[in-house]
Parts: sequence; C-alpha cells; structure tokens
Amino acid sequence: MAHITGVAVTAFGKHAGRGPVDLMETAALAAIGDADLPREAVDGLVSGYATTYPHLMMGTVVAERLGLKPKHAHEARCGGATGAMAIVLARHLIAAGACRHVLVVGGENRLTGQSRDDAVKTLAGVGHPEHEVPLGASIPAYYALLAARYLHEAGATERDLAELAVLMRRHAATHSGAQLTKPITVDDVMASKPIAAPLKFLDCCPISDGAAAVIVSADPSPRAAIRLAGWGEAHTHQHISEMPDDLGLGAKVAARQAFETAGRKPSEIRLAGIYDSFTPTLAIFLEALGLAPAGGAGKAARDGRFGRDGALPLNLHGGLLSYGHCGVAGFLAHVVEVVRQMRGEAGDRQVRDPALAYLHADGGVLSSHVGLVLERAA
Amino acid sequence: MSGIALLKCRSCGHHWQFRRAACPVCAAIEPEAVAVAGGGTVWSVTTVHRAPLPEWDVPGGYAIALVTLDEGVRVMCRAESGLAIGEPVRVTLRDGLPHAART
Repeated sequence: MAHITGVAVTAFGKHAGRGPVDLMETAALAAIGDADLPREAVDGLVSGYATTYPHLMMGTVVAERLGLKPKHAHEARCGGATGAMAIVLARHLIAAGACRHVLVVGGENRLTGQSRDDAVKTLAGVGHPEHEVPLGASIPAYYALLAARYLHEAGATERDLAELAVLMRRHAATHSGAQLTKPITVDDVMASKPIAAPLKFLDCCPISDGAAAVIVSADPSPRAAIRLAGWGEAHTHQHISEMPDDLGLGAKVAARQAFETAGRKPSEIRLAGIYDSFTPTLAIFLEALGLAPAGGAGKAARDGRFGRDGALPLNLHGGLLSYGHCGVAGFLAHVVEVVRQMRGEAGDRQVRDPALAYLHADGGVLSSHVGLVLERAA
Repeated sequence: MSGIALLKCRSCGHHWQFRRAACPVCAAIEPEAVAVAGGGTVWSVTTVHRAPLPEWDVPGGYAIALVTLDEGVRVMCRAESGLAIGEPVRVTLRDGLPHAART
C-alpha cells in the first residue's frame, strides 16, 4: 500500500536568481513539513531533471542539498510524465520494502534560467534527430499536427479547443500561486498570435519557474488517508512519426491498467487532474478516457462539467495552461491540487466530497503515459 | 525516383522509416533498404509560425505535414502550403529534406 502523505507547490511564474536545486529544496522542505515527518524519516528520493541544469546525478544533488541520506535516490526522466512516473516508482519502492517514505520532487527555473529560444530548441529535441528535428518542427508543431488530426477526426472546432484554455484561466484566477490569472474569452484565444496552426498562443501553456513535491509513504497520514489505489503506464512510441493511428491509445492503455489495479471504474471518479500542455492534449485525453464524448470536450467545458461545481471538476488550480509549466513540477502541481481537494483543504476552490480522483500525464508527443487513481479512505 | 528510402522486412514485408535492426512487427532481422515512389496521403498538416531556431523563421511560416505513404509508413515532411488532411501527395527530396506536394 502506498499513500500520499505530503504535498507542496510553489507559486509558478518568475523566480529570478533561483536555480532548479533552490526551487526543489523549497518544495521538498514544505512537503516534508506537510507530511509532518522528521527529515531523517525520508529514506527514498526520486527527483526530476532540469533542462537549465542538466546534471548527471540530480537525485544525489537534491539529497545532498536537503541533508538526506536515503536508501535510494535517482533522477527520473520521462518528459511531462516524469512526476507521475516518479510517484509510480515510489509506490514500487515501497511495495518492494526498500523504502518507507519517498520524496518525489521537481523544480526548474525554465523561464528565467534560459532564453525563450533555448527553451523552445531544447524541447524540440524530443523529435527524431534525423527525420523530424531537421524539418524545423517544434513541440508546438508536434502538438499542432495532433490538434489538426484531432479536429479532423472528432469534428470539433478551434473554438471548442479554446473553451479549455478559457476554463483553465478561470480556475487559475482562484489560486494565488498561478502564473496567468487575467480572464480570457474564446475570442481572445482565437485572436492570439498563431504559433503552429491550428494552435494559437493561448492554446499553449506558458514556460514557468517553480517547483512541487510529493511524499509517498507506506502508511497513511493520520490526518487524511489518501491511497494510491491504482497506477498504469503506456509507452506506445516516442516520435509522432511512429505513433499509433488512434490518438488516444496510450491514454486508454494506461487508464485501463490504473482503474483495473484500483478495482474502480472511470464513471466513479469525482475529480480529475489531466495533463494540459496544449488545449488539444486535454481534449484528446478527456475524450479517450471517456470523461467527455468524442469531439465534445470543449462543449462539456462550456456547459460547466469541469468547473468546481460541475460533475467532474478538473485542474482547479488552473493546469499547465494557466497555473504554469516548469517541466517536471508542472504535473506535480496537478497532484498537489488533487490531494488538497481530497483533504478538504482547497479553500475557495474546494469541491464537494471528492473521494476518488484520476490523474493522467503524458511525456513526449502523447508518447509515454501514466495514470494514477487516488482514493480517500472513508 | 522520389529519393525517399524506407526499410522493408524480408520476412513479413512490413515497411518503416527509422533506423532499426529488427522488424518492429515480427522481429526478423536484417531488413532491406528500399527506394519508394513517394506517393501517399496527408495524415496531418500544420504551418509553423514560430520556429525552434529564430534563424529558421519564415514570414508567413512554413508547412510541415505527416504523410502516410502508400507503403503504410507515416513520414514527416516539409510541405507546400494549403494542403488538407486526406489530400493525395507525392513526397520527394528537396534540398535534402522530404517535401510533400500535390500530385
């Protein structure tokens, strides 16, 4: 059994002068405090990577900074799915009896620690070095190709996708840590500058500085038992050139495994934290997971399904699209929000009684998927 | 010829593009390199307005397409502007890069 016993996330945006290890330290100490653990109780550590500080041994760097002497420490790398993957790894370390309390941490000064051009170039490198990168493709271009295909297959429109950006901005406005809080409309999204058709600027998440951390423990926290009930992974391809024809296949495979291990059904979940690097990412996942009808994610958002008082509250902190995206901590912020909601600690954002939640992240170009089912004990 | 080369499994006949020693379908080794005609259809297409390197930026952007070749292989190409999904195209090498144009 594995439980989430501590969570922390910094504000996302600009943290000028602070490096990845500084940011990870802040989040890690806060999460250890949130779990009410003595520091020496943390006997495992899985850190994220940082594009602004590509160290060979980030896990050890973070352990040293924190003064930890863990039985296990390493750096995980799986793009945007890294944080979720690290939580699965923590669960496996606990199930194997190797550790009792595993710190999962990510943080990066992705916004102020490098030029925007360097960030775009680094991210474009997830493409194939011979057959994709030389063509001048970028991460937004890869997702634009997915978006165009999605719109073609699902019969949705660019305005439908824009609804998801509007929703995330509305949610971010209620969180003091969010990077982007100025309200936007569908027309604003449609009028924002073109990045890679059909994606406009406001269909894309921002680049951020920030950090987040999660403590995964063998036993539940005395104040709230949040159990990692299910987990699933899928790795269908790395490069978009080799991805399956079914845009949602990886998401479906990972989710099916996650719900099977949890012994629960998608229809039972009452809260979701879904990776939203671009509006089509979120639409493809919501529809592949059966959380919205095919082609209907944008309409469902417009109709209030994913709001605080809707049937399936989603990314109530504002998601990557508006809370922000600083790499590995980007999705960990979704985990933090879901756990705070399940504990009833989300203040004005609090949803009614979310006893079962689903989290989903992808890395690459819908390449690697991790699904997590979290369950609050009665 | 188009200048587009693929790999073909000598055992099951599956084609693919990326370098690998064994067939991803049947695991038979030693695929043969084959030149193909380059005919295919557009699977998806975008116009990039923000290049990964500033020196690659072009006024009005440049088009990138994923084309499903007649051999069943999806390849990324530069493309002529205005292509639509499902449109038949021919992929040829242009300045060393695969380029999709209307047939």
